[in-house]
Amino acid sequence: MTILFGFYVLIWPALTLGVLVLICRAVLLDRRQARKENRELV
Amino acid sequence: MNSDSLYQFSAFTVILLMLAFYGGTYLMTLGIRKKNEDADAFMVSNHRVGFGIGAASMTATWIWAASFYAAATSGYTYGVSGPIHYGLWGALMILFIYPFGRRFRKLAPNAHTLGELIHARHGSSSQLILALSNVLGSVISLMVNFTAAGALVSVLSPLSFQSGVVMAGLGVLLYTLWSGFRASVLTDFAQLVALMAIAVVIIPAVFFAMGGPSELVAGLDNLTAEQANFFSTDAILNQGAPFFVAVLAYAIGNQTISQRLFAVDESHIKPTFLTATVGYGAIVIGLGMIGLMALTLGVEPLNGEMNNLIPQMVSSYLSPVYIALFFILVIGSLSSTADSDLSALSAIMMADVYGKNIAKGKADPKRMLLVGRVTMIVATAVGIVFASFSLDILVMLVFVGALWGAIVFPVIASCYWNRVTNKAFTVSVLVSMAMFCLARFELVPLTGAGGLLFELLASVGGGVIIGLMTFGFLGRTVGFAAGIIAMLAMFVFATGFLRDYTVLLASLTAYGTSTLVCVVMSLISRETPFNFDTIRERVGNYDGESAANGATPSQSATASTASRS
Repeated sequence: MTILFGFYVLIWPALTLGVLVLICRAVLLDRRQARKENRELV
Repeated sequence: MNSDSLYQFSAFTVILLMLAFYGGTYLMTLGIRKKNEDADAFMVSNHRVGFGIGAASMTATWIWAASFYAAATSGYTYGVSGPIHYGLWGALMILFIYPFGRRFRKLAPNAHTLGELIHARHGSSSQLILALSNVLGSVISLMVNFTAAGALVSVLSPLSFQSGVVMAGLGVLLYTLWSGFRASVLTDFAQLVALMAIAVVIIPAVFFAMGGPSELVAGLDNLTAEQANFFSTDAILNQGAPFFVAVLAYAIGNQTISQRLFAVDESHIKPTFLTATVGYGAIVIGLGMIGLMALTLGVEPLNGEMNNLIPQMVSSYLSPVYIALFFILVIGSLSSTADSDLSALSAIMMADVYGKNIAKGKADPKRMLLVGRVTMIVATAVGIVFASFSLDILVMLVFVGALWGAIVFPVIASCYWNRVTNKAFTVSVLVSMAMFCLARFELVPLTGAGGLLFELLASVGGGVIIGLMTFGFLGRTVGFAAGIIAMLAMFVFATGFLRDYTVLLASLTAYGTSTLVCVVMSLISRETPFNFDTIRERVGNYDGESAANGATPSQSATASTASRS
């Protein structure tokens, strides 16, 4: 139960961290692509 | 509202935090600022926003200050499953709209608002119903977010509620006014990074400071049987089900979502919406766990106010640095939603009101920009006034909820079925609103035959929701089958029972009534079936080369389509 509840609470910040890394990486790629095409990011 | 039991910042510290946040955000927007902004970019950027910025913006927009407070309240009230029943359904609102979003985008690739698409499909009355529901929703959202800022400032400092409201309102307006949607999406990214980083730190910090998993398990004895049950029917019926019913309604009725839908690069719609779904769910459910922690510890909310739960837990277990981080977390979440609301409102007034109904296809982009900026100023003022005076908006909320439920089927059906008529759209929404009011305010007795009638309509509504959700992902045949099975199941299990849950009954009635009226009126209509290809020609850009050469939005759209091919 202890492990299960520990997992139940901590999985959410872990998922958040995963999404944060994914989004930051994607924005860097977006920026590179925009520069390559000589256009603005937004 | 000031409390001695919570950590108190000095007025100077709070002003400094606000200045740092809004000043930093404003400086960011200077990097993308143009002396002469163009009207289309002000509303939807360049229709080519990338996956990263798009996903960040969707997530940040969908997370507002109330998300944290309500998720924590749900955890505290319903126990183990509480945070899931708030965060999961909120996340699914993003997920379930994306198949329909792809259809909207395919029909009108150059649209700025969903209203423009509906205008091209039906005409003004249907479009204005949609625009009205969007405007009301965004004004309410602005007011709620400014209220959250006021409450936070007054709880954590000697400053007044009103000063928090004014600082947030002016701060958001400052960085959104010039570049509109472009500023909104860019700052959403920065705000989301801050928000996520803080959530990643704060949730485990509170968890381990309170004693970690062993303390949480030991505290489960403080829970009732329902609260300890992960499959609690209490939580499902009172928290999960009403939210589930609203899943499609919120997404259709919210211009902040459609605006991003029309802004993101078409090939990135699916990953953008999927990432936002996971991101929203993870942050909100995670912060909702703080409510569950408070429950297991037997913490009583300060002054009986549930919104104090998270600040109370952070204040009790962590150092002032974490409280400052929490402050930024809330200000970031409410600002990202408020700037999206301002951008949404300006786009509606620019495209739906001025572009389609006043200029009627001969819109002047410069005047459009002026309309957008004036809208932002007026909306901010209205939000600040409503929030400062803590106006009771319950009735407004009820009506907006009903309107959103009533338009779901007509909007979606109009984009797939060529027989839906403008009259069917408009009449179905109006009749549905009337039926909603009868049930919601119990203007007729919900007993005997009357109660049964509403339960039957609500059962149709339940079938429509399940059918549409399934249709979005699995197609027409499976969608029809799922909808009919769900409707039959509700005929059997909900009759004689649903009348006791008035809010749920009324919401489902709105869905069911609008669907029945819309379908029957469309079937008996003798109008020529609509040609969907004409929408693409009727909805176009207002700015750019072709517009500068005197082309109307429709000509501009045709030109841009031709140039792509």
